[in-house]
Amino acid sequence: MTLFPEDISTYGHEIDNLFYLILIFSGLAFIISLFALLYPVFIKRAKANYFTGDKWSHVKWVAIPVILLAGADFVILYVEHGTWKKVEESPAKTDLQIGITGRQWNWIFTYPGPDNQLYTSDDIVVDEMDGSLHVPVNKTVEINLRARDVIHSFSVPNLRFKQDALPGRNITRWIQATKAGKFEIQCAEICGILHGKMRNFLLVESESDYLNYLKGLIKPEKKETADLVSVSK
Amino acid sequence: MSTTKEGFWRKYVFSTDHKIIGKQYTITGLIMALVGGYLAYVFRMNLAFPGKAIPVFGELGPQQYNAFVTIHGMIMFFWVAMPILLAGLGNLLIPLMIGTDDMAFPTVNMISFWIFLLSTIILIASFFVPGGASAGGWTLYPPLSANGYVNESPDFFPTLFSGTPLLILAVALEFTSMLMGGINFLTTTINKRAPGLTPFRLPLYVWFSNIASLIFMFSVGPLVAGALMLLMDIVTGTGFYNAYRGGDPILFQHLFWFFGHPEVYVVLLPSLGVTAEIISTFSRKPLFAYKGIIYLALIAAVLSVVVWAHHQFIAGIDPRMATFFSVGTIIISIPFAAIILSFISTLWGGAIRLKMPMLWAIAGMGTFLVGGLTGLFLGSSTFDIYAHDTYFVVAHFHFVLIPVVFFGTFAAIYYWYPKFFGRMLDERLGKIHLFLTVTSFIFFAFPLFFSGLGGEHRRIYEYSSFNSLMIGPYPAIRVISTVATIIMISSQLLIIINVLRSYRKGKIAGKNPWESNTLEWQTDSPPPHGNFESYPEVFRGAYDFSLPGKEKDFFPQNEK
Repeated sequence: MTLFPEDISTYGHEIDNLFYLILIFSGLAFIISLFALLYPVFIKRAKANYFTGDKWSHVKWVAIPVILLAGADFVILYVEHGTWKKVEESPAKTDLQIGITGRQWNWIFTYPGPDNQLYTSDDIVVDEMDGSLHVPVNKTVEINLRARDVIHSFSVPNLRFKQDALPGRNITRWIQATKAGKFEIQCAEICGILHGKMRNFLLVESESDYLNYLKGLIKPEKKETADLVSVSK
Repeated sequence: MSTTKEGFWRKYVFSTDHKIIGKQYTITGLIMALVGGYLAYVFRMNLAFPGKAIPVFGELGPQQYNAFVTIHGMIMFFWVAMPILLAGLGNLLIPLMIGTDDMAFPTVNMISFWIFLLSTIILIASFFVPGGASAGGWTLYPPLSANGYVNESPDFFPTLFSGTPLLILAVALEFTSMLMGGINFLTTTINKRAPGLTPFRLPLYVWFSNIASLIFMFSVGPLVAGALMLLMDIVTGTGFYNAYRGGDPILFQHLFWFFGHPEVYVVLLPSLGVTAEIISTFSRKPLFAYKGIIYLALIAAVLSVVVWAHHQFIAGIDPRMATFFSVGTIIISIPFAAIILSFISTLWGGAIRLKMPMLWAIAGMGTFLVGGLTGLFLGSSTFDIYAHDTYFVVAHFHFVLIPVVFFGTFAAIYYWYPKFFGRMLDERLGKIHLFLTVTSFIFFAFPLFFSGLGGEHRRIYEYSSFNSLMIGPYPAIRVISTVATIIMISSQLLIIINVLRSYRKGKIAGKNPWESNTLEWQTDSPPPHGNFESYPEVFRGAYDFSLPGKEKDFFPQNEK
């Protein structure tokens, strides 16, 4: 049994390894402290040794472990900082853009239309309870997270990615899936009565399948636009 | 000291005596713990056996599920932890520990309890108003909490008498009551100490409950402002948190967590204070580095107001801010690690007496280690990307709060019950209760770490939409955790029986059954009205156990 779900991201192993690193530090600290807590309980003494813990010779037994723990903390910070920057701060050079909008209770996926610009009139919008987010494998996708009504949180455990989506904000992050397949998208922030049913899929597919999928979506869309144009004329 | 005869109502109900008020707070808190436990039982049953009718409840809908999760969190924090650990114990102990007859403002004290009781009634009433209790999570994040989005029916729109506004009102009254209590604690401790009781001779519980009150006073203002704006958003249609009208939902999160994180220390410190009293007494040893612990707690109190945004790493704040709050979080862990290690050092070289209070203190510290150390995972912003809003967080804070709130309370009950009721609790029944509670707690909370690592997210009514969470160990973990919860809740019957039976049948305690030093043990059990026959004078610190060259291994503070 593995602790984590299958990793399909580029940086997921760094997060998993960070977990194991902290597990080693905190596990050691736990075992030592638990021993220190329980050992004296089993020692029988008629009279206690009087000491108040004001001298360094006594204080060092607290101070040195605490300094070691603080040292371990800063090792953790140092190790994690690179990953944090990569995931959150510096959007890599992206291959394509997709808009993701949370609403009660599904995710809406917006692909740029023929003009290749997001949030223009020719966008392709998929707004279904069970809809899938299609992305090409091994491509860096810029995602623009928004929310229509309340706060949602776009979470894909397999991608080791989670980000709240807020009404009134456009939050730009990136994702890259390295394996083809179908994965679950959760909403991780309580968003009302059907929060537990807010589930969409991430479909990672080859680039040609992805382009075909988009083409299939464009056709009816174009027709509609043409009709509208003719009506207004 | 007072000789005037008082009627029943004045003496036991509308009393200004700190001991009665302390008992009123504690008993109300314990009853609310049963209410919170019942809610937990209902929603855990639904998680383990979704869609089935729940014994002693019936069927649970998703709206009710969200409401129960929300109110469970609220109750356990504001109607159990604070009234018991801070208001209840503080009222019972502070005047006795500092050797005085009562609080500085007895009437304010009485009013504070009745305001608290009113807040409790409003909270419970909020279940029965149209639309049901608030169901947006105990963090009350708008816009969900601010609008009708939270409800089943699309036509529903909240009024002043809907779940969330009533909850805000109840919390506001609860805070008012705790503020009145905190002012009383500080004034009493500063002004009414027995002669000779200098600040560095005070028992640690007095220090810690006062520091906790200070933290509470510092941090609560922004939350009250935030809650008022939320109330106005709901009732008068303002747009403080409405992004489409120029507001910002993240503002509330900052105001909430600016209070919400220090609040953890408001609860933690009194519980650590209880632990300190007990481990020193039952190791027959001075508290290790007493002064150091106080300075560390003061440092932690200052730091506690600069770590709040570690709850918001992925909430849409600027990612560059995360580094600051990650570092802050890790720095604040240092004083608490040092305090816990000082407590452990107190045990070393001690002549340990394994009585019930000591057993609870050790069980509390041992399990709290897990809670504290798993904080390292979540304080690291990078791992938080993955763990945020999963059951890993749920497991973490139950490993923090159950040892702190419940094990701390049990330790306090076993330790001070003889003082306030004059009789000892039953040790054998106590040991069975301890074994069942601690074991079932571990079986309830520890497996949830694995659920969280597997990607199981919080506050989900049932998981059938998520295939990846319906296979493997996850459904089994839900069942194990639920069964353990039921065992944990039902074993509390034992302590109820113990407390009720010992009230009449327990062994007579006498003044100082644990042979302790602090002033509350130097008067009768239960203490008379006015607490002391004559006001004590203090000659030494609180922890002079096993002084070399002395026959007796304890040395009461009022003995020359």
